[in-house]
Amino acid sequence: MPVNLPGLVEHLREIAGRDAVLDRPEDLMLYEYDAGIRKSTPGAVVFPQNTEQVSQIMRLATALNVAVVARGAGTGLSGGSIPQAGGLVIAFSRMNRILEVDVENQRATVRPGVVNLQLSEHVSHLGLYFAPDPSSQKACTIGGNVAENSGGPHTLMHGVTVNHVTGVEVVMPSGEIVHFGGKAAESYGYDLTGFMVGSEGTVGIVTAITVKLLRKPEKIATLLGVFESVDDAALTVSAITAAGITPAALEMLDGWTLRTVEAFCHAGYPLDAGAVLLIELEGLREAVEEQAIAVREVCLSQKAREVRRAKDDDERALLWKGRKMAFAALGRVTPSYYTQDGVVPRSQIPAVMRHIGNVAKKYDLTIGNIFHAGDGNLHPLILFDMRNAEQFERVLSASSEILEFCIQCGGSITGEHGVGLEKRDLMSRLFTEEDLDVMISLRNAFNGRDILNPQKIFPTPRMCREITGPSQNPVLMQEGL
Amino acid sequence: MSTATIPTRFAADFRAICGAEHVSEDPAQLQAWNILGVAPALAVTPASADEIAGILRFANEHGLSVVPAGGFTQQQVGNPPPQIDVVLFTARLTAVEHYDVGDLTVGIGAGCTVAQLSAMVAKDGLFFAGDPAQPERSTIGGLLATGLYGPLRHGYGGLRDYCIGVRFVTGDGRKAKGGGRVVKNVAGYDMMKLLIGSQGTLGIITSASFKLFPAPRQTRTFVAVFPSAAEALQFRSQVLRSPLDPICLELVSPQAHELLAPGSPAAAGWSICLRAAGSETVLARYRTELGTAVVREMEGANEQGFWRTLSDFSPLAAERHPRSLLISMTLPVRDVQSVLNEVSTVAESNHFLFAAIGRVGIAHLLVSLWPAPDAEDSLVSFVDTVSGLRNRVPRDASLAVLHCPSETRHHISAWGPMPTDLESMRAVKMALDPKDILNRGRFLF
Amino acid sequence: MAEKPVSNFSSGEKPTWDLYSKCVHCGLCLDQCPTYRALGTEMDSPRGRIYQMVLVDQGRLALADSFVTHIDRCLGCLNCQTACPSGVPYGSLLERARSQIEENYPRSWLQRKVRSHFYGTVLPSFGKLARHAKLVRFYQRSGLQGLARGSGLLKLLGVAELDALSPRIESDFSFADLGRVYPAEGAQRGRVALLIGCISSVAFAELNRATIRVLTRNGIEVHVPQSQSCCGALHLHAGYIEQSRTLARHNIDAMLKPEFDAIVTNAAGCGSTMKEYAALLEHDPQYAKRAQEFVVKVRDISEYLAQVGLVEPAHKLKARVTYQDPCHLAHAQGIRSAPRQLLKFIGAEVVESPRADSCCGSAGVYNVTQNEISMKILDEKMGYIASVEPEIVATANVGCMLQYAAGIKRKGMNARVVHVVELLDEAY
Repeated sequence: MPVNLPGLVEHLREIAGRDAVLDRPEDLMLYEYDAGIRKSTPGAVVFPQNTEQVSQIMRLATALNVAVVARGAGTGLSGGSIPQAGGLVIAFSRMNRILEVDVENQRATVRPGVVNLQLSEHVSHLGLYFAPDPSSQKACTIGGNVAENSGGPHTLMHGVTVNHVTGVEVVMPSGEIVHFGGKAAESYGYDLTGFMVGSEGTVGIVTAITVKLLRKPEKIATLLGVFESVDDAALTVSAITAAGITPAALEMLDGWTLRTVEAFCHAGYPLDAGAVLLIELEGLREAVEEQAIAVREVCLSQKAREVRRAKDDDERALLWKGRKMAFAALGRVTPSYYTQDGVVPRSQIPAVMRHIGNVAKKYDLTIGNIFHAGDGNLHPLILFDMRNAEQFERVLSASSEILEFCIQCGGSITGEHGVGLEKRDLMSRLFTEEDLDVMISLRNAFNGRDILNPQKIFPTPRMCREITGPSQNPVLMQEGL
Repeated sequence: MSTATIPTRFAADFRAICGAEHVSEDPAQLQAWNILGVAPALAVTPASADEIAGILRFANEHGLSVVPAGGFTQQQVGNPPPQIDVVLFTARLTAVEHYDVGDLTVGIGAGCTVAQLSAMVAKDGLFFAGDPAQPERSTIGGLLATGLYGPLRHGYGGLRDYCIGVRFVTGDGRKAKGGGRVVKNVAGYDMMKLLIGSQGTLGIITSASFKLFPAPRQTRTFVAVFPSAAEALQFRSQVLRSPLDPICLELVSPQAHELLAPGSPAAAGWSICLRAAGSETVLARYRTELGTAVVREMEGANEQGFWRTLSDFSPLAAERHPRSLLISMTLPVRDVQSVLNEVSTVAESNHFLFAAIGRVGIAHLLVSLWPAPDAEDSLVSFVDTVSGLRNRVPRDASLAVLHCPSETRHHISAWGPMPTDLESMRAVKMALDPKDILNRGRFLF
Repeated sequence: MAEKPVSNFSSGEKPTWDLYSKCVHCGLCLDQCPTYRALGTEMDSPRGRIYQMVLVDQGRLALADSFVTHIDRCLGCLNCQTACPSGVPYGSLLERARSQIEENYPRSWLQRKVRSHFYGTVLPSFGKLARHAKLVRFYQRSGLQGLARGSGLLKLLGVAELDALSPRIESDFSFADLGRVYPAEGAQRGRVALLIGCISSVAFAELNRATIRVLTRNGIEVHVPQSQSCCGALHLHAGYIEQSRTLARHNIDAMLKPEFDAIVTNAAGCGSTMKEYAALLEHDPQYAKRAQEFVVKVRDISEYLAQVGLVEPAHKLKARVTYQDPCHLAHAQGIRSAPRQLLKFIGAEVVESPRADSCCGSAGVYNVTQNEISMKILDEKMGYIASVEPEIVATANVGCMLQYAAGIKRKGMNARVVHVVELLDEAY
């Protein structure tokens, strides 16, 4: 891709201001990573402050044929915000205002750079909150949530980001500013709002988002079911669902993970357990109390050693702290980890957990499991040390085998992290060439020159037919963090 | 009424694709399948996505227009098609692709009816949350294409919330899919969102997967009646601010009440009908919270019948008042009151009467308007009523005319302005159906 | 992957793989970092700073202007360390990076001269500090201060540090208290050594007296050991690790006595540094063990009072108070509830503002060396404080108090800024 960088940077400065553009190598290196493991250094970074600037930037990028990627907080795990080498990063950290809180309609309109948790904190005094709660919610931005269609523990009951977005303002590659949807729950016409969410920045750049705000539940009960084995806990997940109970959240931590997490957060997790289920129920007081009793009975009938219930908000917060911090807490015991985001039908959780155990043995790796059991959304965390190249190869093979199992039992390769760079070559395992061709024609309808987040989601053409793991991915993987 | 003709040599091609017995050229039959007076030249009932792809590729080659059809319950909605070459029935696509009771998911052919699907999962204590009008006829494919829903939309969300996968054939004859069979999945573009409510203009849905819900063990409906819409909506707002979590929250206007239950004594006021699920203790809490406003409670068959009838509001209204308008509106919640005022004003100035129901928790209104008995029934009054309303709906709202007298159809656009950018929608249409094969002339372009 | 890269750090104390590899670059620290919130750039985030250390260590980034700029911009507030689930020892990485900068980065001659005089000669010696303070007091009163500040002259001279530390030098220094013993009132419940602090001594002598009064009225005998010195915090944070070690040894000699139940300070920054002595001297065969014993005894004043329990105050405080956590108390020492408990005990209506534990931007000399960023951070913080409409803004560190006083002026608010101990003193 021919890039006219010096001209680009000058124009960017004219558009966004002198201090709103980075182009020195020592600064650009700081935009080569996200929370995943891929790296690639951009040619420039720009910090727009309003939609009009984004529009001008897009017009410029299209004219100069420069690849563009939008970046929120860089907390993604699939490489969604990793730029094309030499491309342009549009960083939304300075477009972070909450534009409107409309209490009567239970809607908020925000700029993409607003931090997920900040919105909930901002409306908390009104008894409202924003439901999608990715584990990175303290830092990740709503723009990023929209791009990746992020989930979180509480999506079991409330749905993922797309279920909470009713309108978006979008800048197209041409620079045109368009609006999809609004404050109404649905509207006539194609649901381009829904289509935009989860399109991983390949269709347009979202510059404002209208989201639903939910009313805080009257009662929340948080239970911790303690099990001797992963198998017992896994069977309990289906048993809870079969009992007609839809928890707000239903999370599993295996023994190894909970011991690791406990060392950091002192959540009071039992150190000798084989697995725990963190079960949250919410709603009307009476309903929650009944369900809490029912869940306890189901757990005990599935050989739970004990079922604890958080006494107060502090205890509840502590139990969740362990869960939300879990991923990163593994940094205490390993220099790096590789996480997957596969999904299986919930009836297959016991089988997939056994499979993961076998894979760990086969490749002589430590694999922790902490995941959204209620959704069947797995997050096997495979520990490794980047300095050990041979081990890393084993990690990738193990990871492929786990995803292969998910695919075979009718599942998906990603439940909430997105395809990004990381899993694009696995897309041809889920979709036929024609399926992908249809998606690409939609991308081309908006982004015909493929300047918006190129190399994401779709397999590179020559690999389309091959079954590949991430190890064959040609994108830069450098030694480092 | 007009019947379009296509050269007979095409019929042979369609017979070759899906078998002679699945291609109909019977004029009487085709006439019965007319859409706003336009009869198709040919009807085909393919058995698979491959056959559909074959038909659509053929249609693309020859520029034929194709109307996908399920139970034919919503085919009179939309703008009148200039010509219909082929009506394509999904009736043979009824296979169960997967049904996992433990996972609460099902994948089913587009030609299966909503009632069949509901009955199938009910045996396992599960529940499909789609509740369109006429579920015995309404098919899964049609449900998705029209994006229809009923009162359960309040508590269970819409199709966009619980449809987790879809297979379809694009207008240009490519087999495609989106999503899958698991409840959480972000691999690839969300094709479900594009197809839901696309009115069959982007692709022909061949099967879909859904999240199911545990069937509620017990439900009860509380009815509160108020002298004015304003008071009813105030009560609605109190419910929305309360911790209560009903599965339906419906407004029923006095005329609507009469329309649903002719001769009913309670037709004097505006009702809020709240349906709750839960144990006796939970339902008792509802009773306490709702207080003295509640004048009636319903349970069992009585309750089932009430909601069933309410879901059928649209066909009932059209049947009762053939010369009427049926208007569907989606709004921001806050605007329900002002829009109802506008409806009242516009109806009055055109000497119309109206019946309204609505999912007032999520702000979806269905309004039937018909000329008052003593008023003049003129084309102008229908046209003025629609334009009067279109001019008064607030920002972010969208309004569709689902039914109107046939002679007014050419003067009343079925779809008005929409909050979503039209050019972007056109780009999507061009990407999937560039030759405008599907439902030509009936939707946006 | 090419040949083994050559580190741009010199040998000795530097950010090492063992320390920085704990960072999995998850980004959870970003929104907790005041400079990231103010600037929005990855280079000014904790994750970015760690990454820059990695880049320098891997030879990809020079230990030069850019690196120094972003490391200099760090407040050292450690908000990120609280947020970090991986347990990255950010404070330690930062100290090491700063030490590398001091060692290898040529600052301007004048800056170096002044910095070394200030950190090397003035701070460690209370006598010199007093003489300097008198000079500064003259400079403040003469009106030269406003002129110099306004012209940026101070920054140019690199003596901004001194100016920052001298906003309201009290005429009576605590140095006169050195060596004195204040007996407990009523039944004696304890005996402590009080660190009077180098800066507090000149700027907040009255606060030290209030501290002594509150302690003695609560039955605590207070010793102000004669030979104590500056705790070394400023040195450590500026990259003068060796000098901070010397000061640590000095204070251990002066205050680690069996008769003291605790070594108490009213400055969060001093407390957190004294609690680091064990780590600082872990390789010192002579002092390692004693440093550990010392650390066990160090208590922040609020921590100590909450531990021994307050006696009933003479009068209840009837005021709406918001407590703002000093970083070096909340993030470095994990002390959050003790000050709030004390305030509630004396009757205050304690109102929680959003982000009460986020840095105010004072950070030692930061508000002068990085004035623009500091004021951005302060303005955000004041917005949160104003949202709860307090009558009193209470904190527990002198630097923060000065910053909040400035913030209240900027915001045009009507509230007074106090140290928790001052409110306790008023109640007794």
